[in-house]
Amino acid sequence: MRALGMTSKDANNRKGNTKSPSPGVKMQTIDVNAWFGAKQALKNINVSFKKNAVTAIIGPSGCGKSTLIRCLNRMHELVPGSKFSGQVLLDGKNTYAADVDPVMIRRRVGMVFQKPNPFPTMSIYDNVAAGLRLTGASKGKDLDKVVQTSLEQATLWDEVKDDLKKPGTSISGGQQQRLCIARAIALQPEVILMDEPCSALDPIATAKIEGLIVKLKEDYTVVIVTHNMQQAARVSDFTAFMYLGELVEFGDTESVFENPKKELTEKYITGAFG
Amino acid sequence: MKAMHRLIDTGLEQLTSLVYKMGEEAQRALELAIDSYVNSKDSTESVREISDILGAMSLEVENKAFELIAKYQPVASDLRIIKSYMKIAYDFDRYGRYALDTSYIGDRLGGLKECDAWMRDFVTEMSEKVLSMVKTSLESLRSFDAMLARAITQTENEVDKMYFNYLDKLIQEAPATGKCTISSVLVIRYLERIADHATYICESIVYLSTGEKITLR
Repeated sequence: MRALGMTSKDANNRKGNTKSPSPGVKMQTIDVNAWFGAKQALKNINVSFKKNAVTAIIGPSGCGKSTLIRCLNRMHELVPGSKFSGQVLLDGKNTYAADVDPVMIRRRVGMVFQKPNPFPTMSIYDNVAAGLRLTGASKGKDLDKVVQTSLEQATLWDEVKDDLKKPGTSISGGQQQRLCIARAIALQPEVILMDEPCSALDPIATAKIEGLIVKLKEDYTVVIVTHNMQQAARVSDFTAFMYLGELVEFGDTESVFENPKKELTEKYITGAFG
Repeated sequence: MKAMHRLIDTGLEQLTSLVYKMGEEAQRALELAIDSYVNSKDSTESVREISDILGAMSLEVENKAFELIAKYQPVASDLRIIKSYMKIAYDFDRYGRYALDTSYIGDRLGGLKECDAWMRDFVTEMSEKVLSMVKTSLESLRSFDAMLARAITQTENEVDKMYFNYLDKLIQEAPATGKCTISSVLVIRYLERIADHATYICESIVYLSTGEKITLR
């Protein structure tokens, strides 16, 4: 599948570059730029995401947080008029190389969205199994077992195990979001991207998702976009602060929130932006 | 982009004003207590009054700090200010307590005027050094001056050295049972502890200004 809006200049980036990943690094961006039409949304982003760790991306609206994570699993190129340049390495291999199937990348790098979006016509069970069936990955698999394991990992099993045939939309918003996480997990991704996964949830559902995020890093690499500073501080090991499409600061979460190196970060996280 | 007034700013301003006021009161208590001891004057009641005020203000700082944490979940410099102010308020409270102990010893055992000249000179010199450290701790707090705060180490080392030199000299020269011996030993101990708290305050100022956690002792 052709990446929409790919420029001729990007031919270099389409090489099947492979480099040894730095120890502990699962994903890495190299000089990533992204555009929506003429508007540049990302400017030379170089950042690494550690394996079995949660990395939070924070920044004001429109700073490029969501665009960045959509570049990580090649969803950005699905937007008409979009452009991309640079490289995104997954285990050291360029995911934008010409021989790489973006569908396979999206399977290895799953996404959970801001609003819980279970398939409305499907049952809870079918929602979890949908990805496996659609990608043909269900062959030879014990679907019941995969559904149960995925719902258990998403800490939803105990709440829905007697209602698996009910519509996915019949449960609460917080449960629906965990159902979407279970749906992502069912495909056995290596990286889970979350785009403001709690912004539509109440504090109790938020606390459950946050607990789940911390638990998920035992098995996955997690990247979360959030507007909630305290949430980033609570759940993440590393924090990246973006502003106007640029990566301003990256560091371990404790340092970024206690003693940020850049004045811009300090102003944003303390709410001193006017 | 311009700085905007945030809800937390009002609380931080109140906290700052409270801590500055504590600093002024603590300095007043120490100057009064040390002057009374050196010049053999009675000041216990006045110092006790200030010490009690400092104890109450320390509690007020703690309550205000917890309120700001609960309401605003502060981060970065806001968090460092609150954490440092809580520690500094405790140090100021201790200044007050040592001031009270010093004036109490002066009242019970007599002041420095009744002691040998070498003792008077020694304790007076140490008092001046310690009061200069207290001043440094207050000035660095008001200016958030990490450089000034770091400079306290030299005087802290001098005070520690004087403390041990004095004990050595007492063992050699002073009668073990003399009132002056007991009072001056106790008072220089308090002075030495005041110096420690002045240094703790300066450590907090360095953390508050730079985020660096250091030991200046």
